[in-house]
Amino acid sequence: MGTCEPLTVAVIGTGAIGQDLVSKIDRSPTLDCRLVAGRNPESAGLRYAESLGYATTAGGIEAVLAAPRPFDVVFDATSAAAHREHWALLEPLGTLVIDLTPSKVGRMVAPTVTGVSPATGRNVNLISCGGQASVPVVHALAAHFPVTYFEVVSTVASESAGRATRMNLDEYVATTGHAVSTFSGVADVKAILNISPAVPPATFRTAVHARIADADPVAVRAVVDKVAEEVRSFAPGYAVVACTAVDDLVTVTLQVMAHSDVLPPYAGNLDIINSAAVMVAEQYAARPERTARTGVSA
Amino acid sequence: MTTELKKQLVIHDPTLRDGQHAVRHRLGADALRRYAEAADAARIPVVEVGHGNGLGASSLQVGQAAVSDDEMLSTVREALRHSRMGVFMLPGWGTSGDLERAIDHGADVVRIGVHATEVTLAERHLGFLRDAGAEAHCVLMMSHMATPEELAEQAARAVGYGAQAVGIMDSAGHFLPADVTARIGAIVEAVGEAPVIFHGHNNLGMAVANSVAAADAGALIIDGCARGFGAGAGNTQLEVLVPVLERSGYATGIDLYALLDAADLAERELMPAPPVTASMSIVSGLAGVFSGFKHRVVQLSADAGVDPRDVFFELGRRQTIAGQEDVIVDVVAELSGRRADAGI
Repeated sequence: MGTCEPLTVAVIGTGAIGQDLVSKIDRSPTLDCRLVAGRNPESAGLRYAESLGYATTAGGIEAVLAAPRPFDVVFDATSAAAHREHWALLEPLGTLVIDLTPSKVGRMVAPTVTGVSPATGRNVNLISCGGQASVPVVHALAAHFPVTYFEVVSTVASESAGRATRMNLDEYVATTGHAVSTFSGVADVKAILNISPAVPPATFRTAVHARIADADPVAVRAVVDKVAEEVRSFAPGYAVVACTAVDDLVTVTLQVMAHSDVLPPYAGNLDIINSAAVMVAEQYAARPERTARTGVSA
Repeated sequence: MTTELKKQLVIHDPTLRDGQHAVRHRLGADALRRYAEAADAARIPVVEVGHGNGLGASSLQVGQAAVSDDEMLSTVREALRHSRMGVFMLPGWGTSGDLERAIDHGADVVRIGVHATEVTLAERHLGFLRDAGAEAHCVLMMSHMATPEELAEQAARAVGYGAQAVGIMDSAGHFLPADVTARIGAIVEAVGEAPVIFHGHNNLGMAVANSVAAADAGALIIDGCARGFGAGAGNTQLEVLVPVLERSGYATGIDLYALLDAADLAERELMPAPPVTASMSIVSGLAGVFSGFKHRVVQLSADAGVDPRDVFFELGRRQTIAGQEDVIVDVVAELSGRRADAGI
C-alpha cells in the first residue's frame, strides 16, 4: 500500500486539537497535509504548521473551498456549530470530512468498536474525548453483563480545553451520552464533563459507572483489561487505573496519557480523539479501490 | 433610624439545593413543599431548589436525587406565592435544555456555577439566559483558590457574558473576614452596577461574620440556609444571618418569627441533625477542599483503614475541585498502599 500516493489533507481549526492533528499527520506516510486553515493569523497553531513547512491560511473554510482541487480529506477541529456549516459546504465536493467536534452530524466512530473504515457516508464523527475513552468499555460491559444504567464522567485539564470546547459543553454532554447509549444498547445513560484547573494539570480521566446486578469484580476486570489492551493499539497511554464492584455499582476509571509531539502528557483527551481521527484517514488512504489505482491521485 | 436609611440586601436561600449535599440529595417532595411554604411565609426573597449540584446533576458520581428536577421545580413553584424561585447549574453537568425546562417551570433566578478561575465555561449559558429572560447570576466557586484580582477580572467577564449578578462562594469554608473584604471589595469595584453575591460555608465558624464582612464591602445578595443546612459544617445559618444583618444596619424584608419557624421546620423535616463544625469539617476548611467530599472521604477512608484527615490534606494538596469525586478513591488507595508498604 506504500505505493499509493498520499491523500491530500486539510485541517480546519488551529487550537490544541488542530495542532496535534498536524503533528500526527506529519508522521503519517499516507497523508499529505496541504493546508492548515485557521481564523486568527496570530494563532500558535498556524505558526506551528508553518514551522513544519506546511501551507497555512487565516482564511478559514473559504480558503479550503478555494483550493484548485478538493482535498481528499478535511479534518474539522473547530466547533459543533461551525462544523454544521462546514459540512454543508464540503458535502458537495465528495471530500471525506473527519469531524473532531461533538456535532453529532456524521457516523460515529470509536476504532475498536466500529472499525475505522468510512464505508458509509463521507462524514465521520469522532464523538468526543470522553466518548473515545468510554465507548470501548461500555460496549464490552453491555455485551457481557446485564447493565441497566451507564454514567460517564470525564475530567480534562483546563489547559487542554480551548474556547470551542468551553462553548460546546451542551453538545459534549448530548453527543457523548448518545454514543454511550448507541454502542451499549442501554437507554438510561448520563454524561458529565469536568474541566479541572488543578495544578499540576490533571491527566485526562474518565470514570465509567455501571449498574450491574451481582457483578463479579474479577469478571469485570478481565473484560475491561482486554478492552484496554485493544485501545492501546492506537492510544498507547490508555490505562485502567481503578476497577471496583460494590453491590450493584461497578466503577471503571480510565486514564489516557498523551503520546504526542506537541501535547503535554496530561492532554490524553486530545491525543485519543486525534489518534482515532488519523486512523480513519489512514484506513481511507489504504482502501482497496484506491490501491488498485496505484499512482493515480484520488 | 428609619428603614429608608437602611441599605436593602437580597437574601438568597439555597436550603433546598445546597442542603441536599447533607442528605445525599434525598429530600422528598413533601419536605420541599413544606419548607418552601415556610420560607415564603417569612418573605425570603429567593428560594433555590434542586439537586445539590444543580439541574441535571442527579448521578452516581455525586448521588442520585430522590425526586426528579421536574418534580422538584413544580413542587416548589406551587408552594411559593411571594418568593422568587432560584435554580443552579454547573456547565458540563446540566445543559441549556435543563435551563430551558427550569424557566418553563417558573424559575426566576438562574445561577451558573463555575470554578473560581473558569468563568469562560459560563459564557454560553449566561448568553442563553440573557436571551431567555431569567435573572442570570454567575457564582465563582472555590473562590479561596483565586486572588482578589483574579476574581475581579473573572466577575467582570461574567457581567460581559450577560450575568446580572455575580459573586463568590467560599465552597471550602476557608475564608476569614479580611479575605472576604478584600475579594468582595475588588469585585464590587470591577463590576460596577451589577449586584455582588456572597455565599459562605461555616467550616471555621466564620460564615455569619464573613457574610457581614461581604455586606460591608458592598455585596448586595447574601446566601444563607436554614440551620446552615449544607455539606460538611454547613452554610451560613440563615436565621442567625438575617437578624445579625438587621442589627448591623441592613434591611432584609424578612419576618423574623416566620424565619425562625421556617428554620425550626427545616430542622424537623429536612435533616437528621443540624450541621455541626465537626473535626473533619475543620480539616476540610483548613485544607481548602470542597465540603461536599466529606461523606465520600469518611466512608472510603473507614473502609480502607486510612486517616480521613490525611485524605483531606492530600486532596487539598492536589487542588481537587468539586466534581472530581473519583480522585478520592485514588488518594485513599494510595495512602492505604503506602501504609501497607510501611508495615512490611
